[in-house]
Amino acid sequence: MRVIIFSWEYPPRVVGQLASYINALSIQLVKNKVETYVVTYHDSLTGAIDDASGVKVTRVANPIRVHIGVLTWDLTLNQEVERAAASIYYQAAEQIDLIDVYDWHFIPAAVTLKNALGIPFVYSVESLEDHRSANSNTPYNMSIRSIEWIGFYEAEKVSVKSEWMRDEIARIHNVPGNKVKVISPSGESWMEDVLELYKNVARGASDK
Amino acid sequence: MKKKLSVMMFTWEYPPRVIGGISPHVFFLSKSLAESDVKVHVVTCDFPGALPHEVIDGVEVYRVDSYKNPAPDFATWVYLMNLNMQREAAALVNKLGGKIDVFHAHDWLVATAGIGLKHVFRKPLLVTMHSTEIGRRDGLHTDTEKMIHETEAWLTYEAWKVICCSDYMVSHVKWAFGLPEDKLIMIPNGVNTSVYEGSETEDCEAFRAKFALPEEKIVLFVGRLVYEKGIHVLINAVPKVLERVNAKFIIVGSGYMKEQLLKIVRSMKLEQKVLFMGFVDDETLLRLQKCADVSVVPSLFEPFGIVALEAMAAKSPIVASDTGGLSEIIDHDATGFKAYPNNPESLAWGITKILLDENYKKYIRENAYRKVEEKYDWKKIAQQTKQVYKAVLGEYSKSFWA
Repeated sequence: MRVIIFSWEYPPRVVGQLASYINALSIQLVKNKVETYVVTYHDSLTGAIDDASGVKVTRVANPIRVHIGVLTWDLTLNQEVERAAASIYYQAAEQIDLIDVYDWHFIPAAVTLKNALGIPFVYSVESLEDHRSANSNTPYNMSIRSIEWIGFYEAEKVSVKSEWMRDEIARIHNVPGNKVKVISPSGESWMEDVLELYKNVARGASDK
Repeated sequence: MKKKLSVMMFTWEYPPRVIGGISPHVFFLSKSLAESDVKVHVVTCDFPGALPHEVIDGVEVYRVDSYKNPAPDFATWVYLMNLNMQREAAALVNKLGGKIDVFHAHDWLVATAGIGLKHVFRKPLLVTMHSTEIGRRDGLHTDTEKMIHETEAWLTYEAWKVICCSDYMVSHVKWAFGLPEDKLIMIPNGVNTSVYEGSETEDCEAFRAKFALPEEKIVLFVGRLVYEKGIHVLINAVPKVLERVNAKFIIVGSGYMKEQLLKIVRSMKLEQKVLFMGFVDDETLLRLQKCADVSVVPSLFEPFGIVALEAMAAKSPIVASDTGGLSEIIDHDATGFKAYPNNPESLAWGITKILLDENYKKYIRENAYRKVEEKYDWKKIAQQTKQVYKAVLGEYSKSFWA
């Protein structure tokens, strides 16, 4: 199986706890014979590299240096994420089973790749705009929420870390329960659950 | 059988959505390409009452939901609109079995959609740069302007070739983004002369009476009321013209300078002489262009100057500032009068000369019309564009993407 993970943080770029989680996840995936690519953002360490654990990491920077907000920065950066992923796809003889996208940042790239190349994606939810900016209804917050919504709508499956989050995305975005899988990172069956989810989502899985 | 060339165009405006010059440009270009045996798919923004998909003169037009995502400001809206344009265009290319040979984007407003689809489908991207932020604003003063400028630079970087509509724009774009000479191609903008045809003897008198007194000559300005269009230069020229000729100045168009201009006109006590019309319907505009005694294009920055071409096609004699694309369209004292840019005296001189000298006026109108027919015909422009597509595909076929 060949998987691309989209995350806006990956060591050495650590913003929150996502970076180390993605690092641990991708190392475990490699150990389980999943060919694992990570496409992430870094301002200066750009390019593709195979790290010691066998994870193939591509870091892209934003070609636009001046921005007026997080949204313009994010939306333009998505084009580079998309380009890097398309490049991996063509170099891998067009055999990518799925993309696993963490949070809203790189949802736009995943949506285009799905519609253009038929690569299904999992939307893995860390947090939601409604929780990060509670009671904020500015166009900025609504805009991020609308990107989250497109992610839920276009995703093959949604992965959350708790039953509480499953209920929250049902409440806020009306995501049907059968689209969502709860996988606890501290649970004993964590890796098993991730692999099972990937197998269900993998391109062509429904034809088999 | 030879395979038909297939192109997908991206534009943020296409009729009935008309904001500026890109809309008519893409309309006539795609229609003329379709007549030249090119399959054209136009992907554009939606518009109230317009269909999400229709075929217009052989052109497949797709209108995408452009307000799907709420946006805090215009520039962010542009990138969000591109997200949805990209998504719908990707699904469309897929539906067409990937049978698109070239992507063709018009201006930064569709930059990220063009760049994204180029890479996911690995097809060549062409771009037409109709204008630039650094030219529109006469420099880069705010973060928004810098960001747009960088987006334009990125788009031209990603493009296989960059088309500009005038020699002036070729050199401007080359300077603005540091592009190599051989990446740039000049193909002029066109004008549709057929809409201006019709009886020469059409009675302008009754029509003129709606706007001007019988003894007043009509001076026409058509354009957005923004700084770069130099409308304030024309307003300053009004008293100088009135010293010698009785005239009515008709201003068609709207823009952020409107209130300010109205105030200036009032303070100059010229309310009776300067008529602000706002936007007018196509029919009225056409008749105004045909019946005006002179058309004025006083722009300070003008990448091409389509309004000058339209006036020439309508056989209205023209006074234009000697700048940008206008310098190439107008030959001084042959197809029009070239005034010094940002110079009301010079502008007034040209307007007065045309209004007072019937022979000069007639000579200029006839020369101008002939030039329009020879150089700015959409059929020829479509042929030139098709040649560029073919040349790019020839190079592409030898690349590892093919």
